[in-house]
Amino acid sequence: MRKYIWKRIFFSVLSLLAVTWIVMLLVFSLTDRSAIFQTDDVWNKRSNNDRVLYEYTQYQRYGYLEFVNFTAFSKAKWAGVYGDSFDSSKEYTDDRNVIQKVGDDYLKNQTVQEFIQYYESRGYTIVRLDPIRYSTGAKQLKPGGTGYLLATKEKLIIVRLWDYIKGFFTFETKRDVDDPELTDRYIRFEKDPYSGLFAIVGSGTTHKYLLYFDGKFPFIHQNWIHMNLGVSFTRYRGQEISSVITDSQGDLKTTRQQYPNQIGTDQWADTAIDFHTLTYNTGELTENEKQLFPDKYTNATYRRDGLSMIGTSFVIGIIATIFQYAFGLPLGILMARKKDTWIDKVGMWYIIFFMSVPSLAYIFIFAAIGTSLFGLPYKFANASVKILAYILPTVSLSIPAIGGLMKWMRRYMIDQMNSDYVKFARAEGLSEREIYSTHISKNAMIPIIHGIPGNILGCLVGAIITESVYSVPGVGGLLTKAIAGHDNGVIVACTVFYTTLSLISLILGDVLMAKFDPRISFDSKGGR
Amino acid sequence: MADTIKKDAVVNEDELFTFVSNDSIESEKIIAPRYSYWRSVFRVFFRKKSNWVAITMLVLLFLCSFLIPAFCTYDPYENVTNATMFNQSPAQAMRQTGGFSFKWLLGSGQIGNSIFYGIWASARTSLLLASICAAINMSIGIIMGAVWGYSKTMDKTMIVIYSIIANVPYILLISVLVYIIGSGFWSFVFALTITGWLSISYFFRTQVMIIRDREYSLASRCLGTPIPRIISKNIMPFLTSVIVTLLATELPSYISVEVFLSFIGIGLSAKVPSLGRMIQEGQVAFRTYPWAFWPPVAIAALLTIILYVLGQNLADATDPRTHM
Repeated sequence: MRKYIWKRIFFSVLSLLAVTWIVMLLVFSLTDRSAIFQTDDVWNKRSNNDRVLYEYTQYQRYGYLEFVNFTAFSKAKWAGVYGDSFDSSKEYTDDRNVIQKVGDDYLKNQTVQEFIQYYESRGYTIVRLDPIRYSTGAKQLKPGGTGYLLATKEKLIIVRLWDYIKGFFTFETKRDVDDPELTDRYIRFEKDPYSGLFAIVGSGTTHKYLLYFDGKFPFIHQNWIHMNLGVSFTRYRGQEISSVITDSQGDLKTTRQQYPNQIGTDQWADTAIDFHTLTYNTGELTENEKQLFPDKYTNATYRRDGLSMIGTSFVIGIIATIFQYAFGLPLGILMARKKDTWIDKVGMWYIIFFMSVPSLAYIFIFAAIGTSLFGLPYKFANASVKILAYILPTVSLSIPAIGGLMKWMRRYMIDQMNSDYVKFARAEGLSEREIYSTHISKNAMIPIIHGIPGNILGCLVGAIITESVYSVPGVGGLLTKAIAGHDNGVIVACTVFYTTLSLISLILGDVLMAKFDPRISFDSKGGR
Repeated sequence: MADTIKKDAVVNEDELFTFVSNDSIESEKIIAPRYSYWRSVFRVFFRKKSNWVAITMLVLLFLCSFLIPAFCTYDPYENVTNATMFNQSPAQAMRQTGGFSFKWLLGSGQIGNSIFYGIWASARTSLLLASICAAINMSIGIIMGAVWGYSKTMDKTMIVIYSIIANVPYILLISVLVYIIGSGFWSFVFALTITGWLSISYFFRTQVMIIRDREYSLASRCLGTPIPRIISKNIMPFLTSVIVTLLATELPSYISVEVFLSFIGIGLSAKVPSLGRMIQEGQVAFRTYPWAFWPPVAIAALLTIILYVLGQNLADATDPRTHM
């Protein structure tokens, strides 16, 4: 059993890698990469060569290519010769001036020749952006018209995949912060003034609190290991997707707290800052910050009163799943018991309706009924009482799901009803109720059990249509919005996330089924 | 008892029996009522009154969605500059255009488009899409599935390919493909069919494997029947009802997928009339302008439910056990 599961996990990881590679291949090499600039303000403000340079910077940031600017190369070269005073040297000034000349003159420069030779031998392509002047021979450059000399190299998809895997998990160490002023670097246990308990606190790490307790579920939290699903290119520009979906949303939740330097005094402040999320500030501290904080850990996120994107989806999904099993299973058993009576027929019509009608149609029917007959809030954000907003999405998810479960439960029950063990139980004189509730339904449950992990984990993915109809701030629309907005990083992140969930739920389903039914064995050898 | 035997014994044997000629061809014939498979299928199918109703409705829907767009061209942008025609109820739209007309039977949409013409043009797209995709996916899926299920060497490679692709969520795959290759009608067909056949094929492979190892099939192989003949004569007839059942779920599912994808904005482009897009446009104000929203929903629901019910009943009828 254990060996089998390890084997399954191994093949699942392989499969995940293959899927990620395929999607990266599709998304990064077959789509128009410049689409990410359509909504980019910085790109819109820049013009001419500066815009091109900005494009290269962004492409490098999002892993499309690597590029080297000639100025940086020259700087490094002359800094090696003259040390810190390189920028007053004649050679460096020459290098900088020569690429601002229109024409091929720059090729005669010694450093340029070295640059071209060095990078061309390493497979880079040389890109020359001629300076743009108002008229030929004019001295003044057009805005953003500075000349550049670059060496670029496209990254292969397989290299991108490798970079992605390498950076998937990052651990914070005490050497993370790049700041020569910080000399006292450590990771140690400290008393945490905000929880009253102990916490692991780091100095030199990006986060101050690496492991801590607080009053929020699941009570113990960590900032030590980070999972990097991918960076958003457009919609949440530059943000890491795993933090986008797990950060809480809604209005700021202000509480009476003390800043680190106020602890021990009687000064209090009304703030929404969550002091457990402090991160290192590499910039200059303001006077105010110097007063309030003992160190340079001054950046923090704010507490908000809403659930995170993934939390909202999960709450709606899990309630719907509970309803699905609570109603679907008994109704399916009932249909099988009363086969060919009116109960069965009504149930069949219910099932056929939800099987065949597009989900979009019945979700709107629910919305229309719920809003006009019961006065429930239609759009999530407009609800005056927050709990009421959850009712329609939950109902819209669970009612069709009940139908789906009923169909399978009825099918499996009927398949079991003609088995020999049922006839034997009847011959023994067991009551019909006992036969159905303990004998048949137990056997019919086996294939149903296989789907339970998938249903629960599926709640983390969200419901695309339901969430979009009721404007639920969940994760359901993440992928579709990413596709509409050319957010390639999010597309890859979603692929990895969804695929991982589906792989895990398949393995869990098999394990659970084997636990529930002793007849099922995964061992290839043995067996009598 | 003994008496009767005695009595019989008295009768001359020649009077009781006459010799028949020994015809070896005649003796091979089995005297039984003539049985034709497909005739029985349709006999069983049409015995149900509800199927007649469903077929009539389906034919009507087909006629409407192919004839109405053929004679009355749907142009969503015809009133795009005439703001007075935007979001008009049927009565208002007819009053503005002067008297009763079929064109404004269901009012106008958010850019003054005729809803009535729109739903039929869109229904035609949906029906075409569903039938083309089902035809491609089913034929590739069944042929590949039959070979896959029969050949053990192919099974090894195909199962790896399948387990990789089956792990990718369906919507993800289609939407990424549509994103890459564009959203015209044919690129949408391509996106739906490039991997769509794989799941059909996998389902079919299992069915073929079950029948492949049955005794009669084994016997046939021992007698030297070529593989294509085993597949087409021994295995395929057994799977007719499986194929029809599959078709009954596949055909309406493409309509649902199109509606779903167009709704979330990654389906067909704005140039192709589609039910999903009409629903998406209508849902913005579905309580204020219900006439623009409910008709496309109703058509989509009606089409899928009729196709589904008919398919299921046909699948039941193709099962020889019902031919009593």
